[in-house]
Amino acid sequence: MTMTFFLHPLRLFTLSLFLFPFLLHADSELDAANRAYSYGSYDESAQLFQQIIAARGYSAPLCFDLANAEARAGHTGAAILNYERARYLAPADRDIDHNLQLARKQAGLEPNSYRWWQIALRSINWMVWLGIMAACLLLIFLAVIGTAYAPALAAASKIPLRLLKNIFRAVLFAGIPVCLLLGYVELSTVGFTNRIEGVIVAPKEATLRLSPFDSADSIGTIPEGELVTVEQRHNDYLRIEARDHHFGWIREKDLEPVIAGSFDAGPSN
Amino acid sequence: MKPPLRLAAAALCVALFFAFTATPCRALATLTQLIDPAEVNVGDQVIVTITVQNGSMDNLRLPPVDGLQVAGTRSATNITFSNGSLSRSTSFNFALVPSRAGDFTLPAFEIHTQEGDVLHVKPMKLHVLGTGATPSTNTVPAPVVPSSAPTSIPATNLPFNPNGPVVMPPTNAAAAAPPASGNAADTTGSNFSLPRDKDGGPARVFLVITPQTTDAYVGQSIPLRIDFYIRMEVNADQNSLPTIKGSDFLMNNFTTRGHASLVVLEDQQYERETWITAISAPKSGDFPLSMERDTYWIKSISSNSLDPFGGLFSRHANLAHLPIPSNQLVMHVHALPTEGKPANFTGAIGQLKVTGDAQPGSVAIGEPVTLYFSVSGEGNFDYVRCPTLPDDPAWKTYVPSSKTTYQDESRTHAVKTFEQAVIPQKNGNVPLPPASFSYFDPTTKQYVTVPIALSEITVTGSPTALAAAAPGGGADSTTASAAPKTTELVPNRLEIGAPRMSLTPVYRQSWFWAVQGGLICLPLLGALFLFLRSRSTPDDGRVERALRRHSQQQEEDAMAEAVRRGDALAFFVAARHAVQLQLGTQWNLKPEALTLGEIRGRDPHLAESLEPLFTQADEVIYSGQAGSNPDLAQWERNVRDLLHLQTA
Repeated sequence: MTMTFFLHPLRLFTLSLFLFPFLLHADSELDAANRAYSYGSYDESAQLFQQIIAARGYSAPLCFDLANAEARAGHTGAAILNYERARYLAPADRDIDHNLQLARKQAGLEPNSYRWWQIALRSINWMVWLGIMAACLLLIFLAVIGTAYAPALAAASKIPLRLLKNIFRAVLFAGIPVCLLLGYVELSTVGFTNRIEGVIVAPKEATLRLSPFDSADSIGTIPEGELVTVEQRHNDYLRIEARDHHFGWIREKDLEPVIAGSFDAGPSN
Repeated sequence: MKPPLRLAAAALCVALFFAFTATPCRALATLTQLIDPAEVNVGDQVIVTITVQNGSMDNLRLPPVDGLQVAGTRSATNITFSNGSLSRSTSFNFALVPSRAGDFTLPAFEIHTQEGDVLHVKPMKLHVLGTGATPSTNTVPAPVVPSSAPTSIPATNLPFNPNGPVVMPPTNAAAAAPPASGNAADTTGSNFSLPRDKDGGPARVFLVITPQTTDAYVGQSIPLRIDFYIRMEVNADQNSLPTIKGSDFLMNNFTTRGHASLVVLEDQQYERETWITAISAPKSGDFPLSMERDTYWIKSISSNSLDPFGGLFSRHANLAHLPIPSNQLVMHVHALPTEGKPANFTGAIGQLKVTGDAQPGSVAIGEPVTLYFSVSGEGNFDYVRCPTLPDDPAWKTYVPSSKTTYQDESRTHAVKTFEQAVIPQKNGNVPLPPASFSYFDPTTKQYVTVPIALSEITVTGSPTALAAAAPGGGADSTTASAAPKTTELVPNRLEIGAPRMSLTPVYRQSWFWAVQGGLICLPLLGALFLFLRSRSTPDDGRVERALRRHSQQQEEDAMAEAVRRGDALAFFVAARHAVQLQLGTQWNLKPEALTLGEIRGRDPHLAESLEPLFTQADEVIYSGQAGSNPDLAQWERNVRDLLHLQTA
């Protein structure tokens, strides 16, 4: 019934009349953000892109555009953060990587382009992956059950019993190794990509401390825009690992997560 | 040998073993010596500390020196358990008071330990100034220890040695007080005493702080030693750390637990916990410095009178609990001089060394050169910043990153490294801007500016604009087929893409794993189903088939045996039965029911092959002997071929 409703040309036209203003509104916001960007109003452009993202969600182009605006506005940390988000959404996009490396270079940071295998691992669509896993496991299940009822199935389907049994055996012998391989790749990939990463957004630099307290000794600084891995949380402090196994505690407000909200779900003590 | 004798013999063996193995392992006695300060005014006190490690001694006397009077002597024994081994040190402190100005030398002498070791004390020099002159060190001169108080040791003048000789607690007979009422030493900051309880004995618990110096500058890191003493009989678990009183000083957080050791003071055993840290003062002036520790100690032990083991299992320690204050000192904090303060001074105070390097020595224009700076030594490393580079149009500089590696517990000795990226803006042999680092040396009381020589960098290529592209060119980069090779930002995308409200990857959702877990369970459930099904419907024919196979094997063995013996009757009986078993299994019939006629009805071709065998068998069975002399070996081969053919 729902399908027939949408298939009816007149009703579809009526529905599009209702949706059109919203689509138009979104596009006009994008146009306004791009217009502000082209006029050199980078702060305003960044703000408009942020509003679009807040309303419609994250996408690689939106994060990329926002990062461009932040870069032009001189907000190095925010620019690199949004380039990282764009790269997270589109790991193989060479434009994003180019702008990200340029921003890092301008911030005096070392390049961090992905290698081909990193791109491959980060490009995995986990829903498709789940579908493949589900199909394999279902086939194995059907083959197992089918083995038990092979004679009845053969009689019902007129397929020779021996052929039917061979089919079930082939499914089992191929499906089980494939499933094991998929599971191994999945766990390895998740282990590799499941790090909680953040970008330093504190102006110029963030202070790394020995322990998670304001009075703790400083053990170094990390420049704005640097990508770090978050390991632990204690109140308003996060224990991070920067380059060269450089560990320390940093104030949460000096860091923004690449995956928004991931600090909230991160490990804490 | 009777059991008790056997036990005694075993104990003797163990004792002998330890006696013989322990003796060669005894560490050799070592000696440390210190005179502090090495320069004083007439009438000021000098402390000579001689510590003997791994050696026992009853008494020690300094050789007499004309013009130096021994005002007090004190010894203490320190027993430490460290890494599973026991070490013992005996420390002697001599308070010397010079009676005239001049240069003195305490002559060398030897110390003989009870273990037979001979230790050589080297000569120690002392420079005594006339009254009114200022010693070059910034250590506060300590007053004379009254000779009437033989246990008196001036705590403030004890040398600061985190790992060194025993620091005696302060002594002050006048400040005798029980732990509960506070055992603070006197508050003059000049002389301390071992706190005493009401009974006149040494206090059961007390706290001693020993800063490296009591003269300091604002922001200077002053190493501080904290010793917490508690008598063994009242020792209880503590759940707090010493804290500084007031807000005049900032103290580094403790990074390690206190070092525990056993100490004997006036024949009383104490457990001592020692921390090494550092303090700094945020403002100038004279400020009292003291600490306290929230302390538990055993007030009494009660036991249940009904306990048949005399309280062995029902003892209960009654704890007392109070903050125990330390001795109080007065710190003289000076403001940093404004005169001669370098422009790039960032508050670093100490004795520091600076080095710098630039890598690589040759780059293309626009490529970064990394400057590596290292600042090491003793000081307040929180205030050590990256060496400054003057503005130079030939170089674009970036915010440096830094890393501090502390080298001691007080975190006043460290190496702080900086990495700073600079990018050349022109080509050729471009000299790096002259870097410099400034700090204040509290010893010389002067600012020091260290120039850092950096090598010239060879820059090749022609200049290109970095990120100078005009935005909003209107080109949609998604249509570009090749990667951009410019040094400009790729312009904006003009589409929204496929937005999603959350960036959280699906594998961080619990349902993702729940679905997979459920799917993995499916084949397992299927396998379980198959297993249970096979168990619930046993195959009755399987047992029968197994029996038939077994019988057939037996008949084949009987055939072979008959051939060996030349017994035609046994052979043909066994051969026919073997064929019947084989065909019975194949056709699911009883073997006995398989006559030649039955076989002919099912497989005439096979019946034709088997007819000689069955005929011969009937003949032999009925006659009791073979008609002709059959070649049993040939018959056996034929029968076996037939059986294998049927099996195949």
